[in-house]
Amino acid sequence: MSAVDTVSIRKLPTGVPGLDEILGGGLPEYSFNIIAGAPGGGKTTLAHQLVFANATPERPALYFTVLGEPAIKMLRYQQQFKFFDPAKLNNSIRFVNLSQLVLETDLNAVLEEIIKEVEAANPSIVVVDSFRTVVRKASVGTGDVELQGFVQRLALHLTSWQATTFLIGEYTEGEIRDNPVFTIADGLFWLYQQIERNSIVRKLQIMKLRGQASVPGMHMFRITADGVQAFPRNYGLTGRTAKAHDRPRVSCGVTALDAMLGGGIPQGDSFLVAGPSGTGKSVFASQFINEGLRRGESGIVAIFEERPEEYAGRVANLGMDFLTPQHDGKLSIIYLRPLDLSVDETMREILDTVARTGAKRVVIDSLAGFEMALAPSFRTDFRESLYRMIGALTRTGVTIVTTVEVTETFTELALSPYSISFLSDDIIRLRYVEIDGQLRKIMMVVKMRAGNHSKDIREYEITSEGLRIGERLTGYKGLITGIPEPLDSGAHHPAEIAGTPDRKEMG
Amino acid sequence: MTNTTTPAIQNLARRLIALEAKRPPSDGLGGAVVRACDKLRMPLAKLAGVAGFRSLMARAKTLATSDVPWLDSVQVRADGSLEGFEVASSQQSALQGQEAGVAIVTNLLGLLVTFIGESLTQQFVRDAWSNESLGATDAGERS
Repeated sequence: MSAVDTVSIRKLPTGVPGLDEILGGGLPEYSFNIIAGAPGGGKTTLAHQLVFANATPERPALYFTVLGEPAIKMLRYQQQFKFFDPAKLNNSIRFVNLSQLVLETDLNAVLEEIIKEVEAANPSIVVVDSFRTVVRKASVGTGDVELQGFVQRLALHLTSWQATTFLIGEYTEGEIRDNPVFTIADGLFWLYQQIERNSIVRKLQIMKLRGQASVPGMHMFRITADGVQAFPRNYGLTGRTAKAHDRPRVSCGVTALDAMLGGGIPQGDSFLVAGPSGTGKSVFASQFINEGLRRGESGIVAIFEERPEEYAGRVANLGMDFLTPQHDGKLSIIYLRPLDLSVDETMREILDTVARTGAKRVVIDSLAGFEMALAPSFRTDFRESLYRMIGALTRTGVTIVTTVEVTETFTELALSPYSISFLSDDIIRLRYVEIDGQLRKIMMVVKMRAGNHSKDIREYEITSEGLRIGERLTGYKGLITGIPEPLDSGAHHPAEIAGTPDRKEMG
Repeated sequence: MTNTTTPAIQNLARRLIALEAKRPPSDGLGGAVVRACDKLRMPLAKLAGVAGFRSLMARAKTLATSDVPWLDSVQVRADGSLEGFEVASSQQSALQGQEAGVAIVTNLLGLLVTFIGESLTQQFVRDAWSNESLGATDAGERS
């Protein structure tokens, strides 16, 4: 053994999606940990998930229950989760009730019983639920030194027997200081339920983890029928890669717009379509997906304002069939409208779908609907979260079209209410313009990071076949204000330029 | 027998008692019923605590008493074991004694099925009678 050799700490899988990343790769083997938080925070569910992910008949898990939720009821409720495998009970996971011992004896007897069970079972995982109850009972007439001695001996013994341990307790953050339990613990997992207005958001924090670098800060988590799922707050910030300038172009489904873009959208770009209500943002997004499907590319549409069947019905009116590709697995319409949505879980859902389906095109329709679905506390961080999400999505190589509604003013050309144009590689702006007593629509390419683009301001229409783009609209000044004026008295009559009923051909 | 248990649970209870009746000591049906309850007591007390098991047993005995009134004289000790069943059953016919024992075990299993489901209940039974051939242990969910 060389002097520079260091011990390698094996990392156990948590069985909780997202938590391994937060912990820096998994649970440090043989660590002595505390799962703390208020009642209803998900502590027991998290512990069960850890246990079911790691227990085997050779190295089972011992789950000590103490005066908390009755074990029968705990089994009744926990088996509702999908991770609960009844076949593991007694064989790989053994429940031991210490309630009577805690009530009738002292700390030494409790310790002896735990040691006896551990030595008999040779467990890989040990849980004491709730350890707070043990300590509270034991601390009556027991000094801090005795309590610290008990915790220290417990930690020593369980580590010596090569068990990874979790003590569950209903603690408040104010108790961290001067509590020997927290001093001795290698890991401290704190679960929160934050209430803001009518929303409740679950968050977890790894306040301490010896031996490896966990991701600091608060991470959102959710408890569903699958159990706990965590969403690391650094998701999407790592592994960014530079984009080549000579990437292939992706047809957006509107031939004339492809030409304006210099041959289509650069593959892997984030493409923003900004415009007021009714200007055809969603129509364009649908055409983008439809073009991909036509070319055999899988697609994903994340919607927030209407249900998938309504969405598919609406695009059917434009001659696009979104039902068949959904059935064939080529198109995933993700409808995300749970209460108190977070950007992180939206990102996870989309990324998982990209990985599962190999999608090449993603539509997020729209940012306004997305923001409305978020819990109030997440709306505060919307811009920063979007930055991470778009980054994470484009890193997979997919091309993303995002729609955003802007409030039309007649003095400026706003691109987005979220100041997010910096995270979009390309932007097209749709807007209304008043010409000759008519409300018409114009579009322009505002930005393309990867190359030149048309500087034209073109009129367009929404037809039963989607967007149809006309010629460059000449003869006016102030088109982007929405209230243009003829360049001079001899200018073309608007009807001659735009030409309806004598408009020029749109294509 | 209460109407909250199923014939499948009742059959299972009957099989468990029959298995215990075959093993020594040959202390009659009363002893077999007590031993069957004790076999369930060990793992369940470990899971639910002694007090937790005693509560379940007391409830099972009470439910059984509504169908078999003479079980009123049988008590559930602090550790969850039955007290007085052998004496009380010896004063009844063999069939009545057997049906009373089946009623207690059926209600205990029925409570387990109600609380933790058929699958886990079966697992507890299989673990408790690990060396025995139980055949099909279908306990059936309560309707």
